[in-house]
Amino acid sequence: MKALLRVHAVASNTWREAIRNRAFIGLMIVAVGFLFFSLALAELAVRGEAARVVLDFGYFAISLFGVVIAIVMGVILVYKEIEKKTIYTILPKPIHRHEVLLGKYLGMVVVLVIEVVVMAAVWAFVLWARDAPLGMDTVMGVVLILFEIMLIASVALLFSSFSSPVLSGIFTFGIFILGRLSYLVSDMLVSSKGIFVNTPSLRPIGEVYVAVFPDLSVFNVSQDLLQGVSIPAAYVVASGAYALSYIIVFMALAMLLFQRRDFI
Amino acid sequence: MTTESSPSTPVLEFFDLHKKFAVGLRMKKVEAVRGVSLSVAPGEVFGFLGPNGAGKTTTIKMAMGLIRPTQGSIQLFGGEPERLEARARVGYLPEHPYFYDYLKPTEILDFYARIFGISRSERKRRIDSLLERVGLGDVRNRTLRKFSKGMLQRVGIAQSLINDPDLLVLDEPLSGLDPIGRKEVRDLLVELRRAGKTIFFSSHILSDIEMLCDKVAIVHHGRIQSIGRMDDLLNPDQMSTEITFRASDSLLGQLKADGMEVDVLGDYMRLRIEGSTTSILSTLLEGGAQIDSVLPKRESLEDLFVRGVVQSGDTEEAS
Repeated sequence: MKALLRVHAVASNTWREAIRNRAFIGLMIVAVGFLFFSLALAELAVRGEAARVVLDFGYFAISLFGVVIAIVMGVILVYKEIEKKTIYTILPKPIHRHEVLLGKYLGMVVVLVIEVVVMAAVWAFVLWARDAPLGMDTVMGVVLILFEIMLIASVALLFSSFSSPVLSGIFTFGIFILGRLSYLVSDMLVSSKGIFVNTPSLRPIGEVYVAVFPDLSVFNVSQDLLQGVSIPAAYVVASGAYALSYIIVFMALAMLLFQRRDFI
Repeated sequence: MTTESSPSTPVLEFFDLHKKFAVGLRMKKVEAVRGVSLSVAPGEVFGFLGPNGAGKTTTIKMAMGLIRPTQGSIQLFGGEPERLEARARVGYLPEHPYFYDYLKPTEILDFYARIFGISRSERKRRIDSLLERVGLGDVRNRTLRKFSKGMLQRVGIAQSLINDPDLLVLDEPLSGLDPIGRKEVRDLLVELRRAGKTIFFSSHILSDIEMLCDKVAIVHHGRIQSIGRMDDLLNPDQMSTEITFRASDSLLGQLKADGMEVDVLGDYMRLRIEGSTTSILSTLLEGGAQIDSVLPKRESLEDLFVRGVVQSGDTEEAS
């Protein structure tokens, strides 16, 4: 119980830091502006395609800004604590190092949830304004985006527990890209032609790639939404469990590294 | 608060502490702390004195769990320093403290108090009282980014007291403060000492240590040069005599001709004599000098400090 209170104290401070950060507020305004811009873009669309434009563009914008905020926040959070030496006043207090990291992560998750909810609300308005399909599947799509950015946030936090923000940002973005392309490698591994058939010695690399990096394409259902394909709740739950398993691994690694670190 | 240690158990103990860092691209090993051992008794004000770069902050950070010792061990309230129960009894002020600058003093203190698990009503009471105590009552609703260095130091002192600690570990607590601030913080430390708190603090400013401490350890190049009670460390014997006088130019010329080093301070002159003063006083009086004062000088902490640093073969870093 006391541990929860300590984690809550760190998490609520992280949340407070975000909402008082002008860069974060600015990014949110740009993100919302981006969604409204899709209305203007829809005007340029071929007749009958306006709904498709706002649907596709909005989904892309929520995902893009979510990932950007998750990476930026994740790589800066721990680094700033160390660089600004605020960590020196926290760690000597009766709190475990892993609780500090968990509090930081949960605070960041709250920020990301609110960011996604705000963007999703604006997107819903845009969809409604353009008579685009708006239903439970849209909500499921947003929930999947949220899982993906929560996973990316844990990757960013992992790198920031031992690396500089620039390097952490590059590494995290790299994992994001590799994760988004993971499905292509999976397809190639089961395909009867392609690089792994032509060069069998490369096959283990592909297998390790698929085994190590999360397949982020499972969270991207934009094509299903465009084609009106239903997104079952079971799929969302399974995807959530998949994201959570990676989050646990990345957070455990981050805690291990943070635990061993000297704060000189 | 829980107390599993007996009243005589040392509050803080270092046993042969060492710390090596890998520095630069070649990862060259540098030993910042080389075998520090000391013991701080309950209710004691212990000064950790040394020039910049002596290893004071590294030693303190090891005690606070921010850095792991390469060798040696630490006992806090008679047990492992990592125990949360032990850390709940400690207040720590880092050197040049930084805080979340988007928060107000009330908010930052509330945040720290929540980590200690202090109840909401008690938090409010303690924060109000502490802000008044460190002289920040009037700026309680101003964000920390608008605070001066001295004001941040006061916030640092307030946060170190939020849990009403039994042990205060303060790294250069008087740095960054103006003369009035220094006096206020010194008074606060005296008040805390009277309240029975144990205080371990580092400084490179001798007068702070001399004024406040019962016991002192002088550290240089990561090693303790001298350690003990102030009375035991300082030589009680008179070392020299300082004579202040007014004299004619001819007498001044005569003294200088005799090889004496006379400081001329406007109308006054000053001489420092080791050994008997009978002969020089006779010379001065016979030469018509007006003697203003004759002050015996005993060894000061500064003398001891300089002696220790010189003995260790390096005076460059001494400040």
